[in-house]
Amino acid sequence: MTLLQWKPAYSLAIPAVDLEHREMIGLINECYERMGSDADTAAIERFLGEIHAGIAAHFALEEQLMLRSNYPEYGAHKEDHEDLLDQIRDFMDRFDEDREAGLRLLQQRLADWFGRHFATFDARLHDRIHT
Amino acid sequence: MAGPAAPAPRLNGCALLALLHKFLRLALEPLRFVLARSFPPAALNPLHHLGALTIFFFWIVLVSGIWLFIFFRTSVDGAWESVEYLTHQQWYLGGVMRSLHRYASDAAIITLALHILKEFAHDRYRGARWFNWVTGVPLLWLVFPLGITGYWLVWDQLAHYVAITSAELLDRLPIFTDSMARNFLTVEALSDRFFTLMAFLHLIGLPLFLVFGIWLHVFRLNGPQINPPRVLMAGSLLAMLLASLVYPAVSQGKADPAQVPEALAFDWYYLLVYPLMQAWPAGAVWALLLGISLLLCLAPWLPPGRDRRSAQVDLGNCNGCERCAVDCPFGAITMEPRSDGTAYASEAVVDPTLCLACGICVGACPTATPFRTRTALVPGIDLPDQPLAGLREEIRERAERLAGTQRVLVFGCAGSRGLRRLEDHQTAAVRLECMAQLPPAFVDWVLSRGLADGIVLAGCRAGDCQYRFGMRWTRQRLERERDPRLRKRVPGERIALAWSDRWQAHTDLRRLLADFRRSLGSPAAASPAAGRRRLAQAAAWGAFAAVVAALSVWPPYRLLEPGQAMVSLTFSRAGQRVHECRRLSQEELQRLAPNMRNPIDCPRERLPVWVEFRVDGETLHRRAHPPSGIWKDGESTVYRRFEVPAGSHELFIGMRDSGRAQGFDFELRQQVPLASGQHLVAEFDHVDQRFVFR
Repeated sequence: MTLLQWKPAYSLAIPAVDLEHREMIGLINECYERMGSDADTAAIERFLGEIHAGIAAHFALEEQLMLRSNYPEYGAHKEDHEDLLDQIRDFMDRFDEDREAGLRLLQQRLADWFGRHFATFDARLHDRIHT
Repeated sequence: MAGPAAPAPRLNGCALLALLHKFLRLALEPLRFVLARSFPPAALNPLHHLGALTIFFFWIVLVSGIWLFIFFRTSVDGAWESVEYLTHQQWYLGGVMRSLHRYASDAAIITLALHILKEFAHDRYRGARWFNWVTGVPLLWLVFPLGITGYWLVWDQLAHYVAITSAELLDRLPIFTDSMARNFLTVEALSDRFFTLMAFLHLIGLPLFLVFGIWLHVFRLNGPQINPPRVLMAGSLLAMLLASLVYPAVSQGKADPAQVPEALAFDWYYLLVYPLMQAWPAGAVWALLLGISLLLCLAPWLPPGRDRRSAQVDLGNCNGCERCAVDCPFGAITMEPRSDGTAYASEAVVDPTLCLACGICVGACPTATPFRTRTALVPGIDLPDQPLAGLREEIRERAERLAGTQRVLVFGCAGSRGLRRLEDHQTAAVRLECMAQLPPAFVDWVLSRGLADGIVLAGCRAGDCQYRFGMRWTRQRLERERDPRLRKRVPGERIALAWSDRWQAHTDLRRLLADFRRSLGSPAAASPAAGRRRLAQAAAWGAFAAVVAALSVWPPYRLLEPGQAMVSLTFSRAGQRVHECRRLSQEELQRLAPNMRNPIDCPRERLPVWVEFRVDGETLHRRAHPPSGIWKDGESTVYRRFEVPAGSHELFIGMRDSGRAQGFDFELRQQVPLASGQHLVAEFDHVDQRFVFR
């Protein structure tokens, strides 16, 4: 069962960003699968820490690209990034309290967020950079 | 908990220099303490903006100087008169401008001296910083002549002294054959043209180089501070105005070459070295000045040099997000095209000659999060001497020894003192190179993983960070104004920032710790009430104005004891040729190349000129003065000053310019009355071929 699916439409045609998007989706999917099974808490924690660091670095790169291209909605996009990082950190500390709720959270929040993020912000960034 | 045994102290060069650093830091401490009280927050402490304040004083000097220039006339009489006009007729504007011009340039020397002293005391002149330090030395060689030529232009008695002494100093240089000092000894010798030259140097030449020099001095820094905070600009301008209105700068009587003033109101800021000229030969003064400059230039390479390895990029963890390059205070990181063939466009590259290994870049790296456990904690950029993974282990180890519910983890930097002594069963301390080396995720990690109940960040001097932006970046990251931001979930009341604006010593940090432990909240800074603070600031600026104005004229410098007069012996005379001209024989001509066959050979070398000077039969001077020029074919120049008691004296000058062994070719014996403070010049009149007293 995969949580997130990479679609060609997600592509920003920026090789570095696309590469990291794919890596991130892969990592999140792998983590989601582990959580479904009886993986031990420590292993999942390790995954989440990796996801957190990866996404943080990825956002840093995206933000730099936005600043470089004078992307007008940088402020909103940046806040969106910070929100997700906050949420992931919340999740990292809480998933173990209730594995089921944790799963739901991951599923809803992360999947929602990624879907929304790709459809709106990154798409606009793509338009901005390539026009 | 016993720390490692301290090595036995060894007294060598390294230890001595480190001791000197420490001593100077302690010496500056009272001043810092007083100013820190009057100028909260610490970011406003004038001691932390000395370089920028110096530049600001330079702006004041520039603006007031433009006004003075409008009215200034570049001639012997015009210079004096125009300055008098400005000072007295136009006192409300021109006079104030003149005083501002003077006092701001004096103030600049104070801030400049403190700036140098402080950077030295805090060991901020070595390693990659050598460039900023060494480029400061030529600035000194521009600032002092700038001030000295300014005193010269006024053409009062002090100006005359400055002119003669400067000329005596310059005469020592091998580039001048004749004595320049002689231009200022008699009224006849003075030329208007000279004021044009001085005005050019003072108004355009030196300032232009100075501006370029300042640019060179700071251009390697990332975001150099050129302007001090507005409050300090306003305060320093008001202080200078205060000095100007209460004690306006005035001239000291028109320069009169025939008189030597007994005592001069003396600007010790610019002329400190000049009195040495009376006691030492000019060569020794030059040796002192050049020696100091050389020592300053070499200082960055004197022991003890700390050899910390520069930051290293790990391409596997670097996606080229540029945050480290943006945060580096020393511009040591640039973004270059990717070199490892991955999809990323750029990568961070560290220039080891610029890197100070402060670790601020590590704190900026988004991959530097302690939650990474699936892979090794290797951030995109790291310090080889204190890697982040090792730091995480150190924090964990120290924190695990703590007990209770009020456990505090103290982070210190290279500048914080007495960290280890704070440690007890509920306090652990970890030392970083710089506070901004700590990624905000570590704060989140320590608190969320329950490694401690509170965190104290006890950095170095508030507003005076060893690595320029360590505190500013830390504060901004914690307040979520700068990347990487501290996550919102981290309870702010469990973090205390303890820059040393609120604590001076170990005991104060201990008190802060106790307070913090009790509340485990951020204690509000208890700064004095605004009214009292204003008063303290006003007092500080007033004291500054008083110091500036005082040393600008006091203590007076005594040129001559009362009842003394001065006699200057000054002339140039070409000695006769050593060899007569002779006609070459035919054989000798044949031996020469055809184009060199000059039938008459006149060797250019001249004899030295022998001079004796006696007062009432007592010989004050008897010496041979060698010819100038590398071929020894120039004039011999005589320039000597003698102090003679006032009264009537028989003066005798004798000179021989021929090869004779006895007697004189020219001599003058005359009974001369000398008044106290009189300046008598003995010259050689080349038209009448005789000595004269003027």
